[in-house]
Amino acid sequence: MAVCVAIIGKDNSPLYIGGIGNESGTDNELSRQWLVHTALDALEERLATTNTSNTNTSANAARTDLRDLYLGLLYSTDTHKIYGYVTNTRIKLVLVTSSTSPSGSNIRDAEVRTALRRLHALYADAICNPFHLPGDQIVSRKFDKQVKSLMMNNV
Amino acid sequence: MATQPSDYTEFPPEIILKPLALIGLAGLDTVNNAIHKTIWDAFSNNRRPDRSAVKFKLLNNTFEFPVVKPKRNSYEWYMPKGILKKNWIPKRVSLIPALVVIFYDMEWNDPQWNEKIIECASRVQSIRAAVEGHATRVAVVVVQSGLSPPPSEYMLGAERAQALCSACEIQSKSLFVLPHSDHLMGYIIRLENAFYDIAQNYYHHETKNIKQHRDHLNKTTHHYLFVRHQFKLGFLNELKQDLSTAHKHYMHAYNNLLETRQVDTNIHEIRTVAGYINYKLCKLLFALNLARDAIAQLKSHIERYKNRIGPSELLFEHYAWIARQYSAFGELFEEAIRVGLPGIQSQHPGFYYQHAAQFTVKRRQAMRSVCCEAQQYPPPPDPMEGIVEFYGQRPWRPGRLSADPHDPQKEQAAILALQYNERIFNHSAMIISFLSSAISQFKTFHSPRMRKQLVVEMANEYYYSADYGKALTLLSHMLWDYRKEKWWFLASHVLNRALQCAYISAKIQDYLQLSIEALSKNIRVPNNDKERIFKNITSVLNLDIPTPEPDIPASSQGKALEMWGMAIDKEPYVVNVDMDTIASFLEVKTTFRQLKYRMDDIIDVEIFVRLTYDTVLEIKTATLTVCTKTETIEIPITDNGNSSIKLEGCSVKKFLCKFKSNPHDNGSELSIRNVSFVLDSSRKRKIVMNFKIEDNKSLPTIHPELLHFILSPKSDYEFDCIVPLTTTSIISRECRLSVGIDNAVPALQGEWFPTNFTITNNENNLVYDMTIVLSLVSSPDNTNPEAVTELSFKRGEPQPQPLKLCIGNVNKASTYFNTFYIKTNRTATATVQIKVSYNIDLNDTPKLECIKDFTTKIPVIKPFEVTTNFVTMNFKPVSKCFVDDPFIVMPQIKILSPWDILILDTELETVDCFRYADDKKPQSCISNLQVAEKNVASDAICIQAKYKPKDPPTRVGLYNIKWHRKSDTDGHFVMSSTALSGITIDECPISIVVNYPEVVDLQTSVPLKCTLIGNTTTPIRLSLSVEGTDAYMFSGYKKFSVTVPPKDKIELCYNIHPLVAGNTIPPRIRATVLGENSRQEVIKEMFDKTFPQNIFVMPKYNK
Repeated sequence: MAVCVAIIGKDNSPLYIGGIGNESGTDNELSRQWLVHTALDALEERLATTNTSNTNTSANAARTDLRDLYLGLLYSTDTHKIYGYVTNTRIKLVLVTSSTSPSGSNIRDAEVRTALRRLHALYADAICNPFHLPGDQIVSRKFDKQVKSLMMNNV
Repeated sequence: MATQPSDYTEFPPEIILKPLALIGLAGLDTVNNAIHKTIWDAFSNNRRPDRSAVKFKLLNNTFEFPVVKPKRNSYEWYMPKGILKKNWIPKRVSLIPALVVIFYDMEWNDPQWNEKIIECASRVQSIRAAVEGHATRVAVVVVQSGLSPPPSEYMLGAERAQALCSACEIQSKSLFVLPHSDHLMGYIIRLENAFYDIAQNYYHHETKNIKQHRDHLNKTTHHYLFVRHQFKLGFLNELKQDLSTAHKHYMHAYNNLLETRQVDTNIHEIRTVAGYINYKLCKLLFALNLARDAIAQLKSHIERYKNRIGPSELLFEHYAWIARQYSAFGELFEEAIRVGLPGIQSQHPGFYYQHAAQFTVKRRQAMRSVCCEAQQYPPPPDPMEGIVEFYGQRPWRPGRLSADPHDPQKEQAAILALQYNERIFNHSAMIISFLSSAISQFKTFHSPRMRKQLVVEMANEYYYSADYGKALTLLSHMLWDYRKEKWWFLASHVLNRALQCAYISAKIQDYLQLSIEALSKNIRVPNNDKERIFKNITSVLNLDIPTPEPDIPASSQGKALEMWGMAIDKEPYVVNVDMDTIASFLEVKTTFRQLKYRMDDIIDVEIFVRLTYDTVLEIKTATLTVCTKTETIEIPITDNGNSSIKLEGCSVKKFLCKFKSNPHDNGSELSIRNVSFVLDSSRKRKIVMNFKIEDNKSLPTIHPELLHFILSPKSDYEFDCIVPLTTTSIISRECRLSVGIDNAVPALQGEWFPTNFTITNNENNLVYDMTIVLSLVSSPDNTNPEAVTELSFKRGEPQPQPLKLCIGNVNKASTYFNTFYIKTNRTATATVQIKVSYNIDLNDTPKLECIKDFTTKIPVIKPFEVTTNFVTMNFKPVSKCFVDDPFIVMPQIKILSPWDILILDTELETVDCFRYADDKKPQSCISNLQVAEKNVASDAICIQAKYKPKDPPTRVGLYNIKWHRKSDTDGHFVMSSTALSGITIDECPISIVVNYPEVVDLQTSVPLKCTLIGNTTTPIRLSLSVEGTDAYMFSGYKKFSVTVPPKDKIELCYNIHPLVAGNTIPPRIRATVLGENSRQEVIKEMFDKTFPQNIFVMPKYNK
């Protein structure tokens, strides 16, 4: 399903970018990073608009708004679709699907939501490691394996 | 359109311009006739959007209308040679007017009316002749002065207008009158609207004509005509400003074109026309405010034509065409946004410009793969020469419909020519132009990161087009942003490209800075070849040319070497690099060891340096810059006294800088500004690496406390956990004086309370210029103490606060003694601060200032409390007094002071409505009285009320007590005043004086005289009765009436004779006022008060 997932810290620095592509080379990695990095524009815009709408509505409504961390489809290009998810601590999760492959183009919103929730759980597990420094890149091999399988599972 | 790059795919202007109904104006002599000139200007100038969609064209006498083609009766044998004729639209928009308006100056009452009408008719006839064959309408405007004709000629106008219509063979509604005197603009606008109506009518008529052709067409041979006719219908409707109908016809045209059989020979034509029709469709959809439909139209358009590639030798044409579709759409979108369409982050023109750029890149790729052979332009005859009648047709085979090329050789030459043209085309310029359009759009629509990516692409494009300077500028800006967000992979990409640019353009400053950053552990370099980069830095230092960067274009290599050769031993010799803004291979942390330093302390700064790149770095000199408010000092950093420092890769080295503070810096802040390391190879060039430390710069990590999670090796001084401390404060030297306080607390409220203090010099030297400053300190229970408290060095003389006293020198181990006095009216603890400052000469620092604050707390209490009792003359308590009726005030002074007090004197200062009952002020009964704690001193003063004031008095008066401590013998006393509480005053019309004795003997008659005194100006009649008791016999009137005369008295005489011993109730007189009743109560009270309740009767002893 997914060709790439990324975890981005609250200061917008990348914590983890993982991808499965047909070719693995610098170019592929570069385009993947561009894709995720530019997705931050849409993410930030989405967060900014939720914030302003929150201030307008009552506090209760704001809380329910915040509860849904899944932001849905951020934008789509000719080749990819990019989904976003933001945790309460402003960690941003991005999932990229390929619109050219049949499995990627027909993906349902609910599947993406589930996958991102799962990714959130995996992330939470990974940073529970006492040797992990919050704000650093995630280098855990186990995490990498789990994320890769998360991406594959849904293919 | 000016912003967009042009090439052969550009749309002709007639496609882009908004079609406007064309109206010809004849008969206006704008050169010689001022009125005509103003009329023409009113029509043609200042065409705001709210005016009718028409275009005016001034027709002069020589204007020639296009020749009408002979009408075709049958399409049976007609084969169209192409889809859209190039000249059709220009004819519609500039040559064939929908309406020709003939202006003619004529007044209805013109004397030469007959001649005029004939001339006008002939002009109309000549225009008619000129437009012969076209359905162009004709109208006449009579230009008049606008002066209203006399009423007698009113009918004349109507008649003559009628005559003119018939003479010119026009309908009456095609005749207009234009008065040119006033309100010209209003007339013009009305005329314009009328013309516009006629023009719409004309275009409607034209569309009908074209629709008639349709019946004659057949699908087999006339496919092109289906497209052409629908396009024409669309265009005419556009001229008519009927946009939705126009859109419908263009859509038909588009769909008909899709059905056309497509072969390699007509692909270019079909594609071109499809692009034009699509452009029209999208433009109309935007105009109709259907932006979504416009986007959908473009998408399906691209989708349909994406795979219609055409001949593979001309693949680049296909991509060029797609790029143009996108960029043209981007412009339409941008224009729509300019006039009010809201764009959003996910849908705005930038995306289309970006696509245009991407397809231009593809176009270049295609060019590279297919145009390698096209080294030169084919020899004449030039296949590109020749006029083409239809849009999108090839000049070398115009109007040919058959699929096979009829002249393979010519075809070959033509392809070669196209390929050659493509080869020399500047793709980069076009891509850069598209990208810059896209960049500005992404900036507008809140996509800074997308913009950055495009800027990097743009920089790459500059790089490919060998404009390395521009590329480098763009890249260094972008590098900053990626570094800030820690996208190191992208930063590496940008940095490597920038390094290539800096190398090729031989910019030493940039080259060194980028190279230093490239050695950072975060940056990845190609082939992981950091060693080469490090060597290059060393080479530049040694004035050697560095080795070239990998993957630079071969064409630039030679030039680069040449430039390096010229630049290497020239300026800049000193290259400053701001290390704090870049990622680098050196990390520096500086920290003061203490938060505060005293003046005589040695300040020490620890500097930790980590070299992350695995090498040995020799640093020639290193300096630490520290600044205070007044100055900036540079301190050399040394390695055990060695000024050159050797840093080892992947380890941390610690340096310690020690220095003394400047005596001026007392009380100021000291901060580390900069740490700089100089790389020098004893040639001319130096690299100065500056680690600037800003005051307000936040720590690089978000949570400094998390630093302690990092496991840093002990040998590296736990580098990662060090939290830099870059500012410290300098405070004065510790004071070695002591102050002793001696006083008899608590102080009493109101007294001048003495406090002795002794300052002892415990320093090892003489101190000089000693000053003491005494001030009161505010505390929560005693705010604003200086308002109620006096301080002084002299008893009884308040001095301005704070008290300052210069003492001068105090020798080693000697003391200074003084006394200060404090007087306060507030019973709270007063806090006095004694600030001692002095100078001292120490061995190495002369005149060092020291300051110390001492505080002492002085509790203040009340010396006594005063309460009051009121009693009658016979010491019976009263709560009310009567005017002119004396009574006694008894102040009770309860002593609270733990110290014995001597009361010197007391007095009562009565308020206005009281006076002393005696004629002169009585002597105090408690003067010179010595009292101790818990004693109560009672005073007594006899006063009486002078009159009854309006309001009951709140106090009787001020009770002043003069006192001092018993121990004080120097003659100072304290005057304390207390307000004594008030007593109700009443008035009674009579006063009574009775000489009742306190004690009588049994069986002994006592004569009583009761005097009634009238106080008022009116006589008062009283009914008196004597209330007898069993204990007494009495003689006198028992019940009678009496009149008390005004301001006079009467006396009543009785004898009483006690019968029993002990406490007895004596007979009393009761009175009732006769007549007026209001004073009954007062008189009754007066009688009750005056007559005693009981009398003690002494028993008689029989001897």
